[in-house]
Amino acid sequence: MDWDQFDLNPKTIAALKKADIKSVKEVLNLSGADLQRLMKLSSADIQCLLKTVSHTLRSNSMLTALQLYQDKDHFTSQHQKLSLGCSVLDNLLKGGIPLVGITELAGESSAGKTQISLQLCLCVQYPYKYGGLESGAVYICTEDVFPSKRLQQLIDQQHKLRADVPAEIIQKIRFGNSIFVEQAADLDTFQQCITSRLSLLLARGMVRLVVIDSMAALFRGDFGPAQAALKARYLQTFGAQLHSLSTRFRTPIMCINQVWNQVASYSVSYFLYRVEGSRVIPALGITWSNQLLMRLMVSRVSPGAASHCAGSRRTLSVVFAPHLPPSFCYYTVQLEGVKGIK
Amino acid sequence: MQREVGTLPLAPALRARLAAAGFQTAQELLDTGPCGLSKEIGISREEALEALQVVRQECHGDAARTAGGSGATRKCTALELLEEEQTQGFIITFCSALDNILGGGVQLTKITEICGAPGVGKTQLCMQLAVDVQIPECFGGVAGEAVFIDTEGSFMVDRVVDIAAACVQHCHLIAEAQQEEDLRKALETFSLENILSHIYYFRCRDYTELLAQVYLLPEFLSEHSKVRLVVIDGIAFPFRHDFEDLSLRTRLLNGLAQQLIIIANDHKSAVVLTNQMTTRIGQSQSTLVPALGESWGHAATVRLIFHWDNSQRLATLYKSPSQKESTIAYHITSQGFRDVQPPAVTHSTEGTELNPRKRPRTEEEKQ
Repeated sequence: MDWDQFDLNPKTIAALKKADIKSVKEVLNLSGADLQRLMKLSSADIQCLLKTVSHTLRSNSMLTALQLYQDKDHFTSQHQKLSLGCSVLDNLLKGGIPLVGITELAGESSAGKTQISLQLCLCVQYPYKYGGLESGAVYICTEDVFPSKRLQQLIDQQHKLRADVPAEIIQKIRFGNSIFVEQAADLDTFQQCITSRLSLLLARGMVRLVVIDSMAALFRGDFGPAQAALKARYLQTFGAQLHSLSTRFRTPIMCINQVWNQVASYSVSYFLYRVEGSRVIPALGITWSNQLLMRLMVSRVSPGAASHCAGSRRTLSVVFAPHLPPSFCYYTVQLEGVKGIK
Repeated sequence: MQREVGTLPLAPALRARLAAAGFQTAQELLDTGPCGLSKEIGISREEALEALQVVRQECHGDAARTAGGSGATRKCTALELLEEEQTQGFIITFCSALDNILGGGVQLTKITEICGAPGVGKTQLCMQLAVDVQIPECFGGVAGEAVFIDTEGSFMVDRVVDIAAACVQHCHLIAEAQQEEDLRKALETFSLENILSHIYYFRCRDYTELLAQVYLLPEFLSEHSKVRLVVIDGIAFPFRHDFEDLSLRTRLLNGLAQQLIIIANDHKSAVVLTNQMTTRIGQSQSTLVPALGESWGHAATVRLIFHWDNSQRLATLYKSPSQKESTIAYHITSQGFRDVQPPAVTHSTEGTELNPRKRPRTEEEKQ
């Protein structure tokens, strides 16, 4: 850290170098009294140092809510969301998936989670005007193999799903080229994937959607009740890393999650979840729930039907979101994709 | 001038040497002069000069402060404090049940902590307060501005717009029903754009940025003296990962708490923090407790815990110096944070479909 470039008293700079303090973070991690002792300066000097260092970290960081509201820029505006490709579903979410934060899609198996995620991977590639982000997607599989056949079906039928987009625009998009599939079956591989592969793709601007299918699969088997603390630490670390990537690159992270059957005597869940006749709660507990911006749940209205069975109604509901009331809508899974029912 | 050497803002090593050499008051230091001082305690002349400069500045500052009447060591009686506290403003939450158990609303000069599971309404209450702090005094508000420090990215401005529009609408209804000139005049400046422009938003992405932001807050609040609310949503998120050394975390949190207490007091603002819940594994069952550990529990003056009971949201006042522990139910509507049932209407509000709530506090104010 080049302390000379800071607007500090030369005496303070010399003291910093002598005390071997190498970064702004170190300065802020030490208390005022510790800094005084280490650098042998008076408290007024230390206050001045702390203020100067804080200024460099936080210059130009204030916005008023009015500025946020009036921001129309594609990249920074809060109004910009990732469309789901269907106006009914977008209306439920007041535009689509928010660009910053982790959104969870939880539900029983074959309720339609993968279908919605695949659809998002295609939607993200459309121009801003049509609710996309003009970029690709990363799909991280942790257990099942990636459904490439279904993806191809969806690509072939895009013109049918997206009747709102002119055909020549759809034809120009090379959908398959911009979806990067990663396999990560265990925690270490997953960690590796997030910290190196994902950051690289995001930094190069090649993707603006990350789908993780699914988080719960990473924690099955190895984690019994005795490893609860370790599991919590992993979840918090992953959550923080994903959150940080999402904020830095303004990229939505969609995490697919499984559900557990609700045990009636599990007192914690009563404190934690609204119980409205649903028999299932999302997996991974409160530690994971704390990392989320928004939680969506999908379920089958008529149990037992196959995933692609046209006509079987599903429900997409908003469990919590800072900008949405708890609400739901119905949808079906057609050949061309997921479509809401008005 | 009679200030003790131990209380002067000098480097600790220097203070130790002065004490060892027998200096007790600031006056003795000034009388000795730089040469004498450097000889007595064995420091260079430049260091002695600097030290005396600091001492002189402090004494000047002291004199100015005692003349001004308000200083770091101000004495007053408990009666004066009581009177001051009774005139202290409250920021209403628009949920009269919650306001009642809090003793009037979110209190200025105190730190209020809101704990709860995700989705229960912590951020909603924070957004509601950021709007309610701006309500003009003639409507029962404190006519202040708000600082919103967001660590999780959950501040959605569209939602704030809904809440603010509902609040403005509500005040308009009151003004029309009461037909008073000063109410109508106050509404001229209480518009959506105005409300949004007085919510100062800071986004902190990790705990270092949060610490830096809190160091800069006193300066910001001095420049924006109308701020009466500082929200940090949430305080737990940046501190719950990345800490191999939990003692560092405890120390940083304690320092943060101290700074916030000073900010709340000096600038007559309410500080509102939101916290997460975590599982504490007990003998036979697990319970949910607020995150960040036992020692953090002492940081806030008032602690609210939000939770569910089936599909009803409940708020429990868990810790308060003056109010008793109680639980009430609340609702989150499209207009914001509200009571569960609208109380009886006392005067006609022209058959509106909006929440025709009586506003007990403003009625009292008018009388």
